[in-house]
Formats: sequence, structure tokens, C-alpha cells
Amino acid sequence: MTAPAASRRSSSSLAPRPLAGRLRRSQRRAGLVFILPFVALELFLLVLPMLQTLYYSFTRWDGLSSTWIGLDNYQRLFGDSTFWRVVLNNVFLLLSIPFAILIPLLVAFLLNEHVRGWRFFRSIYFLPTAISWVVIGMVAIRVFASEGILNNLFDQLHLPIHLDLLGGELSAMLAVSITFIWSVFGTNTIIFITGMATLDREIYDAAKVDGAGSFATFRLITIPMLMRFIQFAFIVTLITAFTALFSLIFIMTGGGPGYGTTTLEFYVYQQAFSVGVFGYGAAIGVVLSVIVFVISLAQTRLFRSRLD
Amino acid sequence: MSMTTARLRRRVNRAGIFAILCLVGVVMLFPFVFMGITAFRSVDQYIAGSGFSFDSWTVLFNAIPVVQQLINSTIVTGGAVLIILAVSSTAGYALSKLGFRGSSYLFLGVLAGMTVPMQSIIIPEFVNVSQVGLVNQYLGAILVYAALGVPFATFLMTAYYRGVPNELVEASLMDGASFWQIFLRVMLPMGIPALVTVAVLQFIQVWDDLLIGLLFLQSPNVRTITVGLATLQSSRMVDVPALMAGSIVSALPAIVVYLIFQRNLVAGLTMGVNK
Repeated sequence: MTAPAASRRSSSSLAPRPLAGRLRRSQRRAGLVFILPFVALELFLLVLPMLQTLYYSFTRWDGLSSTWIGLDNYQRLFGDSTFWRVVLNNVFLLLSIPFAILIPLLVAFLLNEHVRGWRFFRSIYFLPTAISWVVIGMVAIRVFASEGILNNLFDQLHLPIHLDLLGGELSAMLAVSITFIWSVFGTNTIIFITGMATLDREIYDAAKVDGAGSFATFRLITIPMLMRFIQFAFIVTLITAFTALFSLIFIMTGGGPGYGTTTLEFYVYQQAFSVGVFGYGAAIGVVLSVIVFVISLAQTRLFRSRLD
Repeated sequence: MSMTTARLRRRVNRAGIFAILCLVGVVMLFPFVFMGITAFRSVDQYIAGSGFSFDSWTVLFNAIPVVQQLINSTIVTGGAVLIILAVSSTAGYALSKLGFRGSSYLFLGVLAGMTVPMQSIIIPEFVNVSQVGLVNQYLGAILVYAALGVPFATFLMTAYYRGVPNELVEASLMDGASFWQIFLRVMLPMGIPALVTVAVLQFIQVWDDLLIGLLFLQSPNVRTITVGLATLQSSRMVDVPALMAGSIVSALPAIVVYLIFQRNLVAGLTMGVNK
């Protein structure tokens, strides 16, 4: 959208039109004063620990003293079968994301029909956004437990099914993923409803005149026209899955059974604060932030290409 | 096809949609109903599946200092939100209206700051904060929460302030106002909708957080209620009704904020895609 930088001072497109020299100088000074609290806070509590994480990932570190060991932590990490087991859990989460997108997309499509009470439904679906992962996990245990609500339901329906999801490595990961999908359902539904509100209703009407059924409309019109919202939801959901599930896992499974539900972010915590190998934990932290940074970069590029 | 069949089909369709939405609603509301019912049963009644009792609340209040931890949550969340509001509104003003040397690079820094996962900085952060003696102090947790919340808040404020016409700032300058006066009299009042959105998002974020509280507020009398609840669960407490009572206590403030400010929350969450 912006014209190619016409001058070197293209950065001043952020600022008001050029002011008189003296005023301009005092404006710049004011700018520095107003940005100061931001810079101070972020420098000490975000940038510094980031650099420290990077530095200490090349050391053996117990929190007090550290020894430089070069790439040893990384070599150990990539040769560590537990690390790859943990990465597999992140892949599992990745595979659950299509469900965390598609279900809200379908429900948003139905909500968009504006049947009686749709606003009420929308509020209810969004409610989990307000409650903590701790509380969500607390209820989820009782749902998936061997003597829990789900098995109770099967009994009452006289179904010969008894699941002990939290007892097995893979099935516990499934339980965590289902809980995760449930939790982000509301947020993604809201994103898609916002998107659908921007679409032209005439297109739908035209499609109906042409005899397109609901499913055809959904597949051929809604999804393509909502692509930018779907991409946004995908990235937000992916970042949530990789960086925000610590509390849920802490409560639901404690990372187990075995390493069944230990994801990368949980592994950082566990190695550092349970095992006490801070340097090794830092190396895992670096790997995690590289992954998240690449995902975010992909997002920014998606937005850039759309702005041009 | 006659008009009435078409109308009938439409009716049936909409009834079907309504039924599906109801079903989804049941799945989404279920945990809340479960919490509400279970919290008012004794352990025996919970197992039997019927009855009403306040036992669980006695158990809960004996197990953790509920009121103290609610106060702790309020202090920590309030402090962090206030700092975030102050820092992000001044930074947003500087980045949107006071172009200074390097301001565009700094804005890229804000964007990059938004992508930093908590877990990647938490180890040295913890070591640093404990070295200056701020572990188990409200201030330590408040500052860490503020530092983690500020990048996104600043992004939101900058984006919002870019929509404020430059003419407003210039007109005030002509009237002889200083940049500080412009901030107080023009930018802050104009920014109220965005400030409310930031406050609501950050309130829920901090109130609901576990990791920071777990590490930086370790002794029971400075813990937040969310952390208190988590420690109750991980101490292998088996009294499900008491755990559900605790869940209600910890969730209620955030739910109330959500119900009042739902609109602002939605605006904040969908901000990224509409910009």
C-alpha cells in the first residue's frame, strides 16, 4: 500500500507532517522521553533474559555458576531420545489444529444464519476464553478419568466402551488435545464470525439463485473468501498450542504418563526446575523460540503480501 | 416447488441449525454446570450423584488461605495491568505521533517482542529476579507480568493512536500545549476504548496465569488464587467438590470481567486480522 520509500526519512511517515525545526527537535526529545519506560522495562525483563538464555544454552549452568561448553547442550539435545519423543508430542498438537479450525468454521457458518438466540450461543461459546487453563484442566481430569464423566455417560447409554484415556501415553495426549480444541473453539469461532460479517451477503444470495446447496456454498464461497481469517486463526492456534498449554498439562497429566504429554515448553520447565539443568533447559528454550519465531515470521509475511 | 414447501424446508433447516447450536452449547457449558453442582456436594453426595451441602467450602477454606490469595491475585493483577497501561499508552503515543530517530526500528522490536515465548526467557528471568531478592515479593511477579504483556499492549495502542488525526496534535501545539499536556488532554481521553481493551485482555491473562506465579510467588501467603488452586490439585487432594469450589472462586472474577467487557475482549482478539 505504501509507496516505495521516496526519501530516507520515510520513517517519518509515522509522524505528523514536518514541523518547524525547533518544534521538530523538541518533538523528537519528547518521543524519547515517552518511549523510555517501555525501553527500560523491556530491556531488563525481556531482552536481557533472552540474550542470557542464548548465552547460557552454551554453558553448563545450575543457576549460580556456569561453565562454557560450546555446542554440547545442543549435541546432547539432538541425540536425546526423550527430546524427540517430546517433539513428537508437539507434532501431535500440530495435527489437532485442523480440528481446532474446522469445527469452529462450521459452527460459525451455522451461527451466521442468525437463527433465534444466535447471540446467546455466541456468548456461551466464547466463555471458556475467560477461565484459566488450571480450571479447565481441573474439570478435564474428571471428564476423562477412568471412573469419570465420559465413561459414566457410556454406561448410561449402555455402550460397552470403557476408556482410560489418561492412563496411556498416546491416549493422554489425545485427551489433552481434545481439551485444547474445546478451549480454543470459542476464540476461533469469534474470529470466523468477524470474518463472515465482512463478506457480502449478495454473494450468498447469488449462489442460492444459482442453486448451490449449503455445503457447496460453504466449500466454494465461505472458505476461499475467509482464507485470511483462517490463516490468522491457524497461526494464533498454533502458537497457543506450542506456548500456552503449560498450565493445562501441569494440571491434567504433569507431562505423563512417562513423557506422553510433555511438550517442548513443558520440557523446558521440567529440565530447569525439576531436574535442575538450567543450561540444557535454556537450549530447549532457544529451540522453542526459534520454532515460534519462524511461525510468526510466516504470519507477518502473509500479512505483508496481503497489504501490497 | 411451491412457496409453502420452500418455506417449510427453510423452517426445518433453521430448526436443525438451532438444534446443533444447542448441542454445541451443552458441550461448552457442561464444565461450568459440573463445577456449579459439584461444589455444593459433600464427597459422599458427589459419589452418590445427588444431594446438597456446603462441606466442600469448609474443606477449601481450611486447605488454602482463600481470601488472602484472592487479595494477592488482585494486587498482582491490578499492579501489572496499571504498569502495562502506563507503559503501553506512553510508548504508543511516542511511536505513533512523535517520530524520533529509530522509532520505526523500535516498532519492529515491539512486533518481535510479541513472539517471545515465556518459557524461553523464564530460566534467567527467575535467576535474575531471585538475585535482586524479589522472589516471593508482589513486585517481582508484577514486573515480570508487565514486561510480558507490554509488547502486545503497545502494538495495540500504537495501531489505535495511528488512527487519531495528526491535526489534533498540531492544533494543540499551535495553542501552546506541551507534548506532555497533549498526552494527558488529547491522547489519553481519545485512547480510552483501546485502553479498556488492553486492560481486559491483560486482566484475564494475568489472573489466569500459572507459570509465573508458580515460580515467583512460592510461599502460600503470597500466592495468587490460580496458583493456590493448582497446588491443591498437585498435592493429590482427592476431594473433588472442594477442588470445584476452588475452581469457582478462582474463575468467577475473570468471568464477571468477561461478561461486562465481552465486546472489548472480542475487539482485542480480532485486532490482528483487521489491521
